[in-house]
Amino acid sequence: MLQLIWNGLFVGSFYALVALGYSMVYGIIKLLNFAHGDLYMLGSFLAFVVLGGFTGLFGLGSIPVLLLVLLITMLLTGGIGVAIERIAYRPLRTSPRLAALITAVGVSFTLEYAVRQIFGASPLVFPIRLQGDPVTILGARITMPQIVLMVVAALLMFGLQRYVMHSREGRAMRAIALDQKASLLMGVNVNRVISRTFFIGSALAGAAGVMAAAYYGTIDFLMGFVIGLKAFTAAVIGGIGNLYGAMLGGIVLGLLESFGTSWFGGQWRDVFAFGFLILFLVFRPTGLLGERVVERV
Amino acid sequence: MARVTIPRLQAPKPFIQRPAPVSGLLAPDRFMKIVGAVLFIAAAVLPFVTATPYIISILTSAMIYIVLAMGLNVVVGYAGLLDLGYIAFMAVGAYTSGILTTQFGLSMLETIPFVIIACIIAGVVIGGPTLRLRSDYLAIVTLGFGEIIRITANNLKITGGPSGIHGIPTWSFFGWSFADGLDIGGVHFSAKILFYYFVLFVGIGVAVIAVSRLGKGKLGRAWKSVRDDEDVSEAMGINGYVTKLAAYIIGAVWGGFAGTLMASHLSAISPNSFEFLYSALVLMAVVLGGMGSTPGVIIGALFVSLAPEFLREFSEWRFLLFGVLLVVAMIFRPKGIWPANAVLPFLKKREIPEIPPTAAVGVVGVDASYEGETVGPATPTGGANDEEGAR
Amino acid sequence: MISRAHSRARRFAALGAIAATAALVLSGCSGGLAGDGGGASSDGPIKLGMLAPFSGSEAAFGDYMKYGAQLAIDEINADGGVDGRDLELVTEDDGCDATAAVAAANKLVSAGVHGSVGGYCSGATLPTLPVFKEAGISMVIPAANSTALVGQGAFLINGTGIQQGAAAVAYAEKLGAQTVVLIDDNTDYSVDLANSFEEQAGELNLAKRESVNPDEKDFAANINSVLSANPDFIYWTGYYQAGGLLIDQLRAAGYDGVVLVGDGSVDAQLAAIAGPAIDNVFGTFTRTPDMLEGGDAWVAAYKELAGADPGPYSMQTYEAVKAIAAAIDDADSTDAEKVDAALLGLKAFPLLSGDLTFAKDGSREGGGFVIVSPTGDNGAFILSDDLA
Repeated sequence: MLQLIWNGLFVGSFYALVALGYSMVYGIIKLLNFAHGDLYMLGSFLAFVVLGGFTGLFGLGSIPVLLLVLLITMLLTGGIGVAIERIAYRPLRTSPRLAALITAVGVSFTLEYAVRQIFGASPLVFPIRLQGDPVTILGARITMPQIVLMVVAALLMFGLQRYVMHSREGRAMRAIALDQKASLLMGVNVNRVISRTFFIGSALAGAAGVMAAAYYGTIDFLMGFVIGLKAFTAAVIGGIGNLYGAMLGGIVLGLLESFGTSWFGGQWRDVFAFGFLILFLVFRPTGLLGERVVERV
Repeated sequence: MARVTIPRLQAPKPFIQRPAPVSGLLAPDRFMKIVGAVLFIAAAVLPFVTATPYIISILTSAMIYIVLAMGLNVVVGYAGLLDLGYIAFMAVGAYTSGILTTQFGLSMLETIPFVIIACIIAGVVIGGPTLRLRSDYLAIVTLGFGEIIRITANNLKITGGPSGIHGIPTWSFFGWSFADGLDIGGVHFSAKILFYYFVLFVGIGVAVIAVSRLGKGKLGRAWKSVRDDEDVSEAMGINGYVTKLAAYIIGAVWGGFAGTLMASHLSAISPNSFEFLYSALVLMAVVLGGMGSTPGVIIGALFVSLAPEFLREFSEWRFLLFGVLLVVAMIFRPKGIWPANAVLPFLKKREIPEIPPTAAVGVVGVDASYEGETVGPATPTGGANDEEGAR
Repeated sequence: MISRAHSRARRFAALGAIAATAALVLSGCSGGLAGDGGGASSDGPIKLGMLAPFSGSEAAFGDYMKYGAQLAIDEINADGGVDGRDLELVTEDDGCDATAAVAAANKLVSAGVHGSVGGYCSGATLPTLPVFKEAGISMVIPAANSTALVGQGAFLINGTGIQQGAAAVAYAEKLGAQTVVLIDDNTDYSVDLANSFEEQAGELNLAKRESVNPDEKDFAANINSVLSANPDFIYWTGYYQAGGLLIDQLRAAGYDGVVLVGDGSVDAQLAAIAGPAIDNVFGTFTRTPDMLEGGDAWVAAYKELAGADPGPYSMQTYEAVKAIAAAIDDADSTDAEKVDAALLGLKAFPLLSGDLTFAKDGSREGGGFVIVSPTGDNGAFILSDDLA
C-alpha cells in the first residue's frame, strides 16, 4: 500500500514538472503546446550529447556532474523552447486557435523525427546511471536517487512558485494571463514575457527529461509523447492554467496510475487514466483548482 | 379610415451593375465538376489500361483514405472541431465488421447497419459530454479516446488481442461475392478489381458527393457558422451543441465506413494500424489539402497515402517532412493547398467588366470614405441620387 | 433554364467522348484487364520476393534478412542454380505496417516473383498471405512466428510461440521454479508467446500475468503488482528495449530470482540497458550461427557479402531460401501447389540450425529452441543449456 503511494508520488513528480510548462503556456497564450513533451525528450538527448562531449572533463557517475549537466540542458532546452515560440507560434498568435494547435502538432513531429534521423530509432543507453541501495521505510522500498530526484523536482517547483508569485516578471506573466491587451497598455513587454514563459516551461521539461534519463537509463525519440499526454492529463485534472493545479494534478495522476495498475492490471492502466480524464472533464471541467473560464474564440 | 401606405424600406440598389456570373463550361463550379467527372472516369478506365495488383492495391488504399479524410473534413473542416483520435472510428468500423464477419458469419453488407450503430454510439459517447467543453479540451479527449479504443482492442479476446483479426472476407451481396469474380463481355474482373470499382463508385462517388453537398446544405452552413463564431450563430438560432454533435456523428459514421472498406481490403486488421500516428496522418491530409474544401481534401488524401509509395526510399523522412510541412503550411498557407473558396487562376466567377470598378465608385460622392482615393469622374450610373434619398 | 439544359447536354457529349476514348484504349491495350496482367514467367531467372522492414523502428532487421537471403542465392547460383535457372532476390519494404505490406506484396506479385521468402512482423505478414496465395506463390516465412500464421498455407522457418513456450516451460521445470510470473508488453508476438506458455504450463504454479506499456519507462507499478505474488521465476516475452529497463527495475525492487526472456529480448543491447542487473538472466532462442559447428565459415561468408556481422534472422532467411530452392528443384516447377507439396516432402533437410521437417500446418517440427545467457563479450548471448 505504502509502496503504491510512494511509486505514485515519484512518477507523479515527473508528470508535475512537465505539466507545469504545459499549464504556464496555456495560462498565458491559451495555446496547447503539443510539442511540450518533446522538449522533455530533447532534454534527455541534449544531456546525452553534453555528457558525451565532456566525459573526459568530469569523469562519470556522480550526482554533481549530473546537476551541472542538468543546468546546461535546462538552458539549452529553454533556448529551444523560445526559438520554437518565435518561429512557429508567434506568427500565428492572432490566427484561429485551430491553426496554432495544428502547428504545435507539426512542431512535435518535427522534433521527434529530427531526433530520430540524427540518433536513430533504437533506444540509446544513457551514460550516467543513478544507482543506490534501497532503504525500507514503513514497508516501502525507497532508493537514494529517487529521493534526490524528488528533492530536485520539489526545489524547481518551489523556485518557480516564488518567481511567478513574488517577482516583478511573475506579476507580468499573471497580468498577461488575465488580459493580454490591457497588460500591453500598462507597459508590459508582452512578447518578452511570453518568450520567458516558454523558456521556463521548456527548461523544466528538459530538466525532467535529464532526470528521467539518468534514473531509467535509456532514451528514445518517442519518450516525450506518452509523458506529454500524461502531463496534459495532469494539467487538466489540476485545472489548466493554474500553477498549483499542475503540481497537484501530476501527483494525483501518478497515484491514480499506481493504484489503477494494482487494481486492473497493467494493460488497462492507460484506459483507466484516460477514462478518468474524460469523466473528470464531464463533471468538473475546470479541474481541481481551476477557475471557470469563458471561452473566447 | 383610409389606409396609410407606409413606404417600405428598400435595400439600396447597387452603384454599378454587377457583371453576370460566367456561364458555360468555364464557370468555376461547373468546370470543377467536369474535372471531377473526368478524373472519376479516368479512375474507372484505369484497370483496363493497367491492372497490375500493385497499382490496384495502392489506388484502393488511396481511395479509402479519401473516404476517411472526407469524414474528418466534416469534423475539422466544416465544424472546426479538432479531432486527434479520428482513426478510432475507423477502428470501431473495422473491428465491428471484422468480428461480425469472421465470428458470426455475416456478410460485409449485413454488417453495415451494425457499423453505423456502433459508430453513432461511439460518437455520442465521446462527443456528447465533451462537445460542451472548450475546444482544445476536445483535442486531448479525442486523443485519449483514440488510445482507449486501441488499447481495448489490444486487450480483449473478441478483437483477437494484439494480433487482431484475419481472414476478413471481401464484400458480397445476397450470396454473390466479389471473390467469385465476374465476366462481362469476355473480360474477367477479379475480386480485387471488383473491390476497386466498389470503392470507386460507393466510396468516392457517394462519399465525396454526399459530403460536399452536405457542406453546402443547411446543416453544412450551420457547421461553418458555428466554426466561425459559435456565440453569434447561437444568437441566430442555431443550436451549437446539436450542430457540433451532428458533425461529430456524421464524421464517426464516415470513419467507420472507411474502416469496413479497409478491413476487407487488407483482410486482416490489428491494433497497430490504429495508432495515434495514423490519426495525425489523416489530419494532415485534411489540413494540408485545405480544411473544408473537397478538392483540397482529395489532393491531401492522395498525397498522404501515395507519397510513401512513390518515395519508398525516403520513407524514413516522411514524418519529419510532414511535421515541417504542417508548420510551414499553417504559417504561410493556413488554408491549405486548395482552400475552400479557391478558384483556378484561369477561371473567373464573373466576367470582368469593361469599365474598371474603381471608376464606377466615384459616383458615390463621399470621397473621404474611400480613403482619399482620387477617383476620376466616371460615367455616373443612373439613380445614384435616389439611393442617397432612400437611405 | 434553357442554357442550363443545353450545357448539360454538352456535358453528356463530353462524357460520351471520354467513354469512347476509354473504349479505344481498352481494345488497344494489353497490360490491363483484357491482357494477362503480368505474372510469373516460366523462363529466365526464378525470382524470390522478400518483404521485410527497411524503414521504421525495425529497419535494422531488413538488412540482416536481405543479406542472409542474398548469401543463399549466391551459393545456389554458384552451384548452377535451380533446374538450370538462376535465382534472383527482389526485396520490398513493408515497414511493419499492414497497409504498406499489402501494397508491397502486390508489388512483388506484379514483379512476377515465384516464391516469397520474407516476413518479419507478424501483424504485417498476416494480410500478405492471401495476396500471395491468390497469385499462386509459395511462402516460406523466415522470421514472423505468430501462431495466427500457422495453418494458413505458409511455411515457418522460425519456431512458433508454442515451441518457444514449451522450451521456456521445460526450463522452468528443470530449474524447479515454485512460482512463475509472465510479463508481456502488449504486442502480438509477446502476448502470443505468453499465451503459449500459459497453455503449456501444466504443473507449474503460474501465479500472475502482467502487461507493461513498452512506450513507458517506469514499470514500478507493474513490478509492485508482480512482486506481490512472490515469484522465483519470471518470463519476459517482450522486446529488449523495455526488457532491459524492466530487469533493472525488478532488481532494484529486490527481486533476485531467475529472469527468462523470449527471443525478442535476446540482443546484446539488453545487457547494456539493464546494466549490472543482468545477472541470473536467461533467454529462449533458436540456435545462432556462432553456437553451431561450421557456423564460423558461414559467418565469414556473410561478413564478406554484407560487410557486417549477421544479425537475428540472417540465418533463418538464408535457410528459407535454401528450403524453397530445394523444393522448387524437387518439384521441377514454380507452381505453388507442387512447391508446397515438395516443401512438405522435405524430410530432415539438413540446415545449419539442424534438420528441417515441416509439419502439415506449415510450422517447423521441433523448433530448435535452446537456453542462452548474456554472458558473452559485451553482453552477447551464448549457449547456456540445450535442453537436451
